[in-house]
Amino acid sequence: MTRQKVKLAFITNDSARKATYKKRKKGLMKKVNELSTLCGIDACAIIYSPYEPQPEIWPNNIGVQHVIARFKRIPEMERSKNMLNQESFIRKQVTKTNEQLKKQMKENREKEMTEVMYQCLTGKGSIENLTLPDLKDLGELVDQTLKDISRRIESLKIASPNEAAAAAPPLPQAVVGGSSSSMVVDNVSGRDEMQRGTQTTQWFTDWMNNPSEQNLGLGPNRIWPHPFFPDC
Amino acid sequence: MAPKRSLGRQKIKMAQIQKKSHLQVTFSKRRVGLFKKASELCTLCGVDIAIVVFSPAGKVYSFGHPKVDSVVDRFLTRKQINPMPTNLHLVEAHRIASIPDLNLQQTHMRNELEAEKKRRETLDEMRKASQNQFWWEAPIEDLNLHELEQLKDSMEELKKTISIQANKLFLENSNSVPIFGTNNVIRGDGEYYEMKPNPIISASCTSSHVHSYGYGHGLF
Repeated sequence: MTRQKVKLAFITNDSARKATYKKRKKGLMKKVNELSTLCGIDACAIIYSPYEPQPEIWPNNIGVQHVIARFKRIPEMERSKNMLNQESFIRKQVTKTNEQLKKQMKENREKEMTEVMYQCLTGKGSIENLTLPDLKDLGELVDQTLKDISRRIESLKIASPNEAAAAAPPLPQAVVGGSSSSMVVDNVSGRDEMQRGTQTTQWFTDWMNNPSEQNLGLGPNRIWPHPFFPDC
Repeated sequence: MAPKRSLGRQKIKMAQIQKKSHLQVTFSKRRVGLFKKASELCTLCGVDIAIVVFSPAGKVYSFGHPKVDSVVDRFLTRKQINPMPTNLHLVEAHRIASIPDLNLQQTHMRNELEAEKKRRETLDEMRKASQNQFWWEAPIEDLNLHELEQLKDSMEELKKTISIQANKLFLENSNSVPIFGTNNVIRGDGEYYEMKPNPIISASCTSSHVHSYGYGHGLF
Protein backbone atom coordinates (compact mmCIF):
# COMPACT_ATOMS: atom_id res chain seq x y z
CA MET A 1 0.00 0.00 0.00
CA THR A 2 1.62 3.25 -1.09
CA ARG A 3 1.74 5.96 1.54
CA GLN A 4 0.37 9.18 0.11
CA LYS A 5 0.05 12.26 2.22
CA VAL A 6 -3.65 13.09 2.15
CA LYS A 7 -4.59 16.69 2.49
CA LEU A 8 -7.01 17.16 5.36
CA ALA A 9 -9.82 18.76 3.40
CA PHE A 10 -13.15 17.68 1.98
CA ILE A 11 -12.61 15.43 -1.01
CA THR A 12 -14.37 17.06 -3.90
CA ASN A 13 -14.05 14.17 -6.30
CA ASP A 14 -17.19 12.08 -5.70
CA SER A 15 -15.77 8.66 -6.48
CA ALA A 16 -12.57 9.32 -4.59
CA ARG A 17 -14.59 10.48 -1.63
CA LYS A 18 -16.79 7.42 -1.66
CA ALA A 19 -13.77 5.11 -1.93
CA THR A 20 -12.05 6.89 0.95
CA TYR A 21 -15.21 6.69 3.00
CA LYS A 22 -15.50 2.94 2.52
CA LYS A 23 -11.88 2.32 3.47
CA ARG A 24 -11.73 4.65 6.43
CA LYS A 25 -15.06 3.61 7.80
CA LYS A 26 -13.87 0.02 7.80
CA GLY A 27 -10.67 1.04 9.52
CA LEU A 28 -12.51 3.09 12.10
CA MET A 29 -14.79 0.20 13.01
CA LYS A 30 -11.76 -2.01 13.34
CA LYS A 31 -10.19 0.48 15.73
CA VAL A 32 -13.31 0.69 17.90
CA ASN A 33 -13.37 -3.08 18.03
CA GLU A 34 -9.73 -3.22 19.08
CA LEU A 35 -10.21 -0.59 21.75
CA SER A 36 -13.15 -2.42 23.19
CA THR A 37 -11.44 -5.81 23.16
CA LEU A 38 -8.02 -4.73 24.43
CA CYS A 39 -9.37 -2.63 27.26
CA GLY A 40 -12.50 -4.60 28.00
CA ILE A 41 -14.77 -1.58 27.80
CA ASP A 42 -18.15 -0.60 26.36
CA ALA A 43 -18.03 1.33 23.12
CA CYS A 44 -20.16 2.09 20.10
CA ALA A 45 -19.94 3.96 16.81
CA ILE A 46 -22.64 5.43 14.59
CA ILE A 47 -21.94 6.84 11.15
CA TYR A 48 -24.46 8.51 8.85
CA SER A 49 -23.33 8.83 5.28
CA PRO A 50 -25.02 10.18 2.14
CA TYR A 51 -24.54 6.78 0.55
CA GLU A 52 -27.00 4.83 2.70
CA PRO A 53 -30.17 5.72 4.54
CA GLN A 54 -29.27 3.41 7.40
CA PRO A 55 -26.32 4.32 9.61
CA GLU A 56 -23.23 2.17 9.79
CA ILE A 57 -22.86 0.98 13.33
CA TRP A 58 -20.62 -0.96 15.66
CA PRO A 59 -20.95 -3.42 17.26
CA ASN A 60 -24.56 -4.16 16.26
CA ASN A 61 -28.00 -2.80 16.92
CA ILE A 62 -28.37 -4.31 20.36
CA GLY A 63 -24.81 -3.41 21.32
CA VAL A 64 -25.31 0.22 20.32
CA GLN A 65 -28.62 0.43 22.18
CA HIS A 66 -26.95 -0.94 25.29
CA VAL A 67 -24.09 1.55 25.20
CA ILE A 68 -26.35 4.48 24.45
CA ALA A 69 -28.67 3.49 27.27
CA ARG A 70 -25.71 3.48 29.63
CA PHE A 71 -24.62 6.79 28.13
CA LYS A 72 -28.03 8.38 28.75
CA ARG A 73 -28.02 7.20 32.35
CA ILE A 74 -25.00 9.36 33.06
CA PRO A 75 -26.08 12.82 34.30
CA GLU A 76 -25.87 15.45 31.62
CA MET A 77 -23.13 17.48 33.31
CA GLU A 78 -20.86 14.50 33.46
CA ARG A 79 -21.70 13.47 29.93
CA SER A 80 -20.69 16.89 28.64
CA LYS A 81 -17.43 16.92 30.51
CA ASN A 82 -15.61 14.70 28.07
CA MET A 83 -17.85 15.32 25.10
CA LEU A 84 -16.06 16.57 22.05
CA ASN A 85 -16.96 17.71 18.61
CA GLN A 86 -14.52 18.21 15.77
CA GLU A 87 -13.73 21.78 16.66
CA SER A 88 -13.05 21.18 20.35
CA PHE A 89 -11.12 18.02 19.61
CA ILE A 90 -8.81 19.67 17.10
CA ARG A 91 -8.28 22.64 19.36
CA LYS A 92 -7.15 20.28 22.10
CA GLN A 93 -4.77 18.63 19.67
CA VAL A 94 -3.36 21.97 18.61
CA THR A 95 -2.75 22.96 22.22
CA LYS A 96 -1.07 19.66 22.99
CA THR A 97 1.15 19.81 19.92
CA ASN A 98 2.06 23.38 20.71
CA GLU A 99 3.18 22.37 24.18
CA GLN A 100 5.27 19.56 22.77
CA LEU A 101 6.75 22.00 20.28
CA LYS A 102 7.67 24.54 22.92
CA LYS A 103 9.21 21.86 25.10
CA GLN A 104 11.26 20.51 22.23
CA MET A 105 12.40 23.96 21.20
CA LYS A 106 13.51 24.72 24.73
CA GLU A 107 15.37 21.42 24.92
CA ASN A 108 17.04 22.09 21.58
CA ARG A 109 18.02 25.56 22.66
CA GLU A 110 19.77 24.11 25.71
CA LYS A 111 21.57 21.58 23.57
CA GLU A 112 22.60 24.29 21.16
CA MET A 113 23.88 26.43 24.01
CA THR A 114 25.99 23.51 25.17
CA GLU A 115 27.62 23.36 21.76
CA VAL A 116 28.25 27.09 21.82
CA MET A 117 29.70 26.88 25.30
CA TYR A 118 32.24 24.23 24.37
CA GLN A 119 33.12 26.04 21.19
CA CYS A 120 33.77 29.27 23.04
CA LEU A 121 35.71 27.39 25.69
CA THR A 122 38.29 26.31 23.18
CA GLY A 123 38.26 29.51 21.24
CA LYS A 124 36.71 27.87 18.22
CA GLY A 125 33.58 29.92 18.52
CA SER A 126 33.45 33.63 18.87
CA ILE A 127 31.18 35.16 21.43
CA GLU A 128 31.08 38.37 19.47
CA ASN A 129 28.35 36.97 17.26
CA LEU A 130 26.02 36.35 20.15
CA THR A 131 23.17 38.61 21.03
CA LEU A 132 22.47 39.79 24.53
CA PRO A 133 19.75 37.20 25.23
CA ASP A 134 22.09 34.51 23.89
CA LEU A 135 24.83 35.69 26.21
CA LYS A 136 22.43 35.59 29.11
CA ASP A 137 21.46 32.00 28.39
CA LEU A 138 25.06 31.05 27.82
CA GLY A 139 26.08 32.66 31.08
CA GLU A 140 23.41 30.73 32.93
CA LEU A 141 24.58 27.49 31.37
CA VAL A 142 28.18 28.20 32.35
CA ASP A 143 27.03 29.00 35.86
CA GLN A 144 25.10 25.77 36.09
CA THR A 145 28.03 23.80 34.71
CA LEU A 146 30.37 25.39 37.23
CA LYS A 147 27.98 24.41 39.99
CA ASP A 148 27.93 20.83 38.74
CA ILE A 149 31.71 20.72 38.48
CA SER A 150 32.21 22.11 41.97
CA ARG A 151 29.72 19.66 43.39
CA ARG A 152 31.51 16.79 41.68
CA ILE A 153 34.90 18.02 42.89
CA GLU A 154 33.58 18.13 46.44
CA SER A 155 32.18 14.65 46.30
CA LEU A 156 35.44 13.32 44.90
CA LYS A 157 37.42 15.04 47.62
CA ILE A 158 35.18 13.54 50.26
CA ALA A 159 35.47 10.10 48.72
CA SER A 160 39.26 10.06 48.63
CA PRO A 161 40.90 12.90 50.54
CA ASN A 162 44.40 11.41 49.97
CA GLU A 163 44.07 11.83 46.29
CA ALA A 164 42.96 15.39 46.77
CA ALA A 165 46.08 16.23 48.76
CA ALA A 166 48.28 14.69 46.11
CA ALA A 167 46.70 16.65 43.28
CA ALA A 168 48.76 19.57 42.10
CA PRO A 169 47.01 22.83 42.84
CA PRO A 170 46.04 24.12 39.43
CA LEU A 171 47.44 27.55 38.81
CA PRO A 172 45.81 29.80 36.30
CA GLN A 173 49.10 29.87 34.41
CA ALA A 174 49.18 26.09 34.26
CA VAL A 175 45.84 26.07 32.62
CA VAL A 176 46.49 28.91 30.29
CA GLY A 177 50.22 28.61 29.70
CA GLY A 178 52.24 25.63 28.70
CA SER A 179 53.92 23.92 31.65
CA SER A 180 52.48 20.48 31.96
CA SER A 181 54.99 18.95 34.33
CA SER A 182 52.52 18.59 37.13
CA MET A 183 49.73 17.40 34.84
CA VAL A 184 48.80 13.82 34.24
CA VAL A 185 49.88 12.99 30.74
CA ASP A 186 46.66 12.18 29.09
CA ASN A 187 45.06 12.91 25.80
CA VAL A 188 47.95 14.98 24.58
CA SER A 189 46.45 16.39 21.43
CA GLY A 190 43.27 17.29 23.23
CA ARG A 191 45.17 19.03 25.96
CA ASP A 192 47.16 21.09 23.52
CA GLU A 193 43.98 22.31 21.95
CA MET A 194 42.61 23.19 25.34
CA GLN A 195 45.69 25.25 26.17
CA ARG A 196 45.77 26.88 22.81
CA GLY A 197 42.14 27.78 23.13
CA THR A 198 42.45 29.25 26.57
CA GLN A 199 45.47 31.21 25.48
CA THR A 200 43.21 33.39 23.46
CA THR A 201 41.50 34.29 26.70
CA GLN A 202 44.78 34.90 28.48
CA TRP A 203 44.81 38.51 27.59
CA PHE A 204 41.52 38.83 29.43
CA THR A 205 43.13 37.39 32.52
CA ASP A 206 45.95 39.89 32.24
CA TRP A 207 43.52 42.65 31.51
CA MET A 208 41.44 41.72 34.51
CA ASN A 209 44.47 41.91 36.76
CA ASN A 210 45.25 45.32 35.39
CA PRO A 211 44.11 48.07 37.71
CA SER A 212 42.80 50.15 34.83
CA GLU A 213 39.75 47.94 34.63
CA GLN A 214 37.71 50.82 35.90
CA ASN A 215 37.25 51.91 32.31
CA LEU A 216 34.36 49.58 31.73
CA GLY A 217 32.94 49.93 35.17
CA LEU A 218 34.07 46.54 36.34
CA GLY A 219 35.99 46.06 39.53
CA PRO A 220 35.30 47.61 42.90
CA ASN A 221 33.84 50.85 41.62
CA ARG A 222 31.31 49.22 39.40
CA ILE A 223 29.24 51.72 37.49
CA TRP A 224 26.75 49.29 36.06
CA PRO A 225 25.11 46.61 38.14
CA HIS A 226 26.17 43.29 36.80
CA PRO A 227 23.20 42.18 34.76
CA PHE A 228 24.00 38.51 34.44
CA PHE A 229 26.18 37.39 37.26
CA PRO A 230 24.71 39.04 40.34
CA ASP A 231 26.91 36.98 42.60
CA CYS A 232 30.07 37.93 40.72
CA MET B 1 22.31 5.82 14.79
CA ALA B 2 19.80 7.79 16.86
CA PRO B 3 18.70 6.12 20.09
CA LYS B 4 15.34 4.33 19.91
CA ARG B 5 12.76 6.43 21.70
CA SER B 6 10.06 3.79 21.98
CA LEU B 7 9.47 0.13 21.23
CA GLY B 8 7.96 0.96 17.87
CA ARG B 9 5.32 -1.11 16.17
CA GLN B 10 4.80 -4.41 17.89
CA LYS B 11 2.24 -7.03 17.12
CA ILE B 12 -0.14 -7.43 20.05
CA LYS B 13 -2.59 -10.10 20.94
CA MET B 14 -6.20 -9.12 20.36
CA ALA B 15 -7.41 -9.98 23.83
CA GLN B 16 -7.96 -8.00 26.98
CA ILE B 17 -4.72 -6.63 28.36
CA GLN B 18 -3.78 -8.19 31.66
CA LYS B 19 -1.65 -5.51 33.26
CA LYS B 20 -3.81 -2.70 34.61
CA SER B 21 -1.33 0.10 34.00
CA HIS B 22 -0.76 -1.07 30.46
CA LEU B 23 -4.49 -1.20 29.93
CA GLN B 24 -4.96 2.38 31.14
CA VAL B 25 -2.22 3.72 28.90
CA THR B 26 -3.55 1.81 25.93
CA PHE B 27 -7.03 3.13 26.52
CA SER B 28 -5.85 6.75 26.67
CA LYS B 29 -3.72 6.52 23.58
CA ARG B 30 -6.15 4.54 21.48
CA ARG B 31 -9.08 6.68 22.47
CA VAL B 32 -7.31 9.77 21.17
CA GLY B 33 -6.25 7.93 18.04
CA LEU B 34 -9.81 6.76 17.46
CA PHE B 35 -11.22 10.27 17.79
CA LYS B 36 -8.52 11.53 15.48
CA LYS B 37 -9.49 9.02 12.81
CA ALA B 38 -13.13 9.91 13.28
CA SER B 39 -12.33 13.61 12.92
CA GLU B 40 -10.42 12.93 9.72
CA LEU B 41 -13.30 10.90 8.32
CA CYS B 42 -15.64 13.80 8.98
CA THR B 43 -13.35 16.30 7.30
CA LEU B 44 -12.54 14.16 4.29
CA CYS B 45 -15.95 12.71 3.59
CA GLY B 46 -18.38 15.06 5.25
CA VAL B 47 -20.25 12.45 7.28
CA ASP B 48 -22.06 12.64 10.61
CA ILE B 49 -20.66 10.51 13.34
CA ALA B 50 -20.92 9.65 17.01
CA ILE B 51 -18.58 7.55 19.09
CA VAL B 52 -19.14 6.72 22.73
CA VAL B 53 -16.57 4.92 24.87
CA PHE B 54 -16.40 4.12 28.55
CA SER B 55 -13.04 4.15 30.27
CA PRO B 56 -11.86 1.26 32.45
CA ALA B 57 -12.71 3.49 35.40
CA GLY B 58 -16.23 4.03 34.11
CA LYS B 59 -15.86 7.60 32.82
CA VAL B 60 -17.59 8.31 29.55
CA TYR B 61 -15.86 9.94 26.57
CA SER B 62 -17.67 10.86 23.40
CA PHE B 63 -16.89 12.37 20.05
CA GLY B 64 -19.49 13.55 17.58
CA HIS B 65 -19.97 15.56 14.44
CA PRO B 66 -21.80 17.86 14.28
CA LYS B 67 -22.77 16.97 17.87
CA VAL B 68 -22.87 13.71 19.77
CA ASP B 69 -26.42 14.30 20.99
CA SER B 70 -27.93 15.03 17.58
CA VAL B 71 -26.47 11.91 16.02
CA VAL B 72 -27.40 9.71 18.98
CA ASP B 73 -30.95 11.04 19.06
CA ARG B 74 -31.24 10.60 15.35
CA PHE B 75 -30.31 6.95 15.79
CA LEU B 76 -32.78 6.48 18.62
CA THR B 77 -35.70 8.08 16.92
CA ARG B 78 -34.90 6.57 13.52
CA LYS B 79 -36.48 9.53 11.91
CA GLN B 80 -35.58 10.07 8.32
CA ILE B 81 -37.11 13.51 8.24
CA ASN B 82 -33.94 15.61 8.47
CA PRO B 83 -31.18 13.64 6.83
CA MET B 84 -29.21 16.85 6.31
CA PRO B 85 -28.67 19.17 9.27
CA THR B 86 -30.67 22.05 7.82
CA ASN B 87 -31.53 23.40 11.23
CA LEU B 88 -28.00 24.39 12.11
CA HIS B 89 -28.00 27.43 14.25
CA LEU B 90 -25.73 30.30 13.38
CA VAL B 91 -23.43 29.55 16.33
CA GLU B 92 -22.95 26.04 15.18
CA ALA B 93 -22.31 27.23 11.63
CA HIS B 94 -19.53 29.48 12.93
CA ARG B 95 -18.09 26.64 14.92
CA ILE B 96 -18.03 24.31 11.97
CA ALA B 97 -16.56 26.97 9.71
CA SER B 98 -13.50 27.22 11.93
CA ILE B 99 -12.63 23.56 11.42
CA PRO B 100 -10.60 23.86 8.19
CA ASP B 101 -8.50 26.59 9.74
CA LEU B 102 -7.92 24.49 12.83
CA ASN B 103 -6.95 21.50 10.72
CA LEU B 104 -4.41 23.68 8.97
CA GLN B 105 -3.00 24.89 12.27
CA GLN B 106 -2.64 21.35 13.50
CA THR B 107 -0.87 20.24 10.33
CA HIS B 108 1.56 23.17 10.47
CA MET B 109 2.28 22.60 14.12
CA ARG B 110 2.92 18.90 13.60
CA ASN B 111 5.37 19.73 10.82
CA GLU B 112 7.18 22.17 13.07
CA LEU B 113 7.38 19.53 15.76
CA GLU B 114 8.87 17.02 13.36
CA ALA B 115 11.45 19.57 12.28
CA GLU B 116 12.44 20.25 15.87
CA LYS B 117 12.73 16.54 16.54
CA LYS B 118 15.10 16.19 13.60
CA ARG B 119 17.10 19.10 14.92
CA ARG B 120 17.36 17.40 18.29
CA GLU B 121 18.80 14.31 16.63
CA THR B 122 21.34 16.41 14.78
CA LEU B 123 22.37 18.16 17.97
CA ASP B 124 22.61 14.85 19.83
CA GLU B 125 24.88 13.47 17.13
CA MET B 126 27.10 16.54 17.34
CA ARG B 127 27.34 16.16 21.08
CA LYS B 128 28.22 12.50 20.86
CA ALA B 129 30.93 13.14 18.29
CA SER B 130 32.45 15.91 20.37
CA GLN B 131 32.36 13.85 23.54
CA ASN B 132 34.40 11.15 21.91
CA GLN B 133 36.89 13.64 20.58
CA PHE B 134 37.70 15.94 23.48
CA TRP B 135 38.15 14.86 27.08
CA TRP B 136 36.69 18.04 28.52
CA GLU B 137 33.43 17.53 26.71
CA ALA B 138 32.84 14.19 28.36
CA PRO B 139 30.17 14.02 31.06
CA ILE B 140 31.35 15.48 34.34
CA GLU B 141 31.05 12.12 36.08
CA ASP B 142 33.74 10.70 33.80
CA LEU B 143 36.39 13.27 34.65
CA ASN B 144 39.01 12.89 37.32
CA LEU B 145 39.90 15.54 39.85
CA HIS B 146 42.73 17.02 37.80
CA GLU B 147 40.57 17.37 34.78
CA LEU B 148 37.70 18.80 36.77
CA GLU B 149 39.89 21.49 38.29
CA GLN B 150 41.27 22.38 34.90
CA LEU B 151 37.83 22.49 33.36
CA LYS B 152 36.60 24.62 36.20
CA ASP B 153 39.30 27.18 35.60
CA SER B 154 38.55 27.35 31.92
CA MET B 155 34.87 27.73 32.62
CA GLU B 156 35.54 30.60 34.97
CA GLU B 157 37.62 32.29 32.32
CA LEU B 158 34.77 31.89 29.92
CA LYS B 159 32.40 33.32 32.45
CA LYS B 160 34.51 36.45 32.71
CA THR B 161 34.72 36.73 28.95
CA ILE B 162 30.98 36.48 28.67
CA SER B 163 30.30 39.13 31.25
CA ILE B 164 32.73 41.51 29.58
CA GLN B 165 31.07 41.01 26.26
CA ALA B 166 27.65 41.31 27.83
CA ASN B 167 28.57 44.57 29.48
CA LYS B 168 29.92 45.83 26.20
CA LEU B 169 26.71 45.03 24.38
CA PHE B 170 24.63 46.35 27.22
CA LEU B 171 26.36 49.69 27.02
CA GLU B 172 26.10 49.80 23.25
CA ASN B 173 22.43 48.96 23.30
CA SER B 174 21.40 51.40 25.95
CA ASN B 175 22.82 54.11 23.77
CA SER B 176 20.56 53.19 20.91
CA VAL B 177 17.51 50.95 20.87
CA PRO B 178 16.12 49.48 24.10
CA ILE B 179 17.18 45.83 24.23
CA PHE B 180 13.80 44.42 25.09
CA GLY B 181 12.39 45.42 21.76
CA THR B 182 14.65 43.22 19.70
CA ASN B 183 13.40 40.37 17.62
CA ASN B 184 15.40 37.71 19.34
CA VAL B 185 13.66 37.85 22.66
CA ILE B 186 11.81 34.62 23.23
CA ARG B 187 8.39 35.13 24.70
CA GLY B 188 7.39 32.28 26.89
CA ASP B 189 4.16 33.77 28.05
CA GLY B 190 1.92 30.90 27.13
CA GLU B 191 1.05 32.15 23.68
CA TYR B 192 2.24 30.44 20.58
CA TYR B 193 5.81 31.39 19.75
CA GLU B 194 5.84 34.74 18.04
CA MET B 195 9.13 34.22 16.32
CA LYS B 196 11.61 31.41 16.38
CA PRO B 197 15.03 32.37 17.72
CA ASN B 198 17.59 32.39 14.93
CA PRO B 199 19.65 29.27 15.37
CA ILE B 200 23.20 30.02 16.28
CA ILE B 201 24.38 26.74 14.87
CA SER B 202 23.10 26.25 11.39
CA ALA B 203 21.56 22.84 11.43
CA SER B 204 20.08 22.20 8.04
CA CYS B 205 16.40 22.24 8.49
CA THR B 206 15.34 25.16 10.63
CA SER B 207 13.88 28.30 9.20
CA SER B 208 12.38 31.16 11.05
CA HIS B 209 8.95 32.11 10.01
CA VAL B 210 6.52 34.02 12.05
CA HIS B 211 3.78 32.07 13.74
CA SER B 212 0.69 34.14 13.89
CA TYR B 213 -1.74 31.55 15.12
CA GLY B 214 -4.27 33.08 17.36
CA TYR B 215 -7.64 31.62 18.22
CA GLY B 216 -9.26 33.16 15.20
CA HIS B 217 -12.76 31.96 14.51
CA GLY B 218 -12.21 31.89 10.85
CA LEU B 219 -15.45 33.25 9.65
CA PHE B 220 -14.82 36.96 9.19
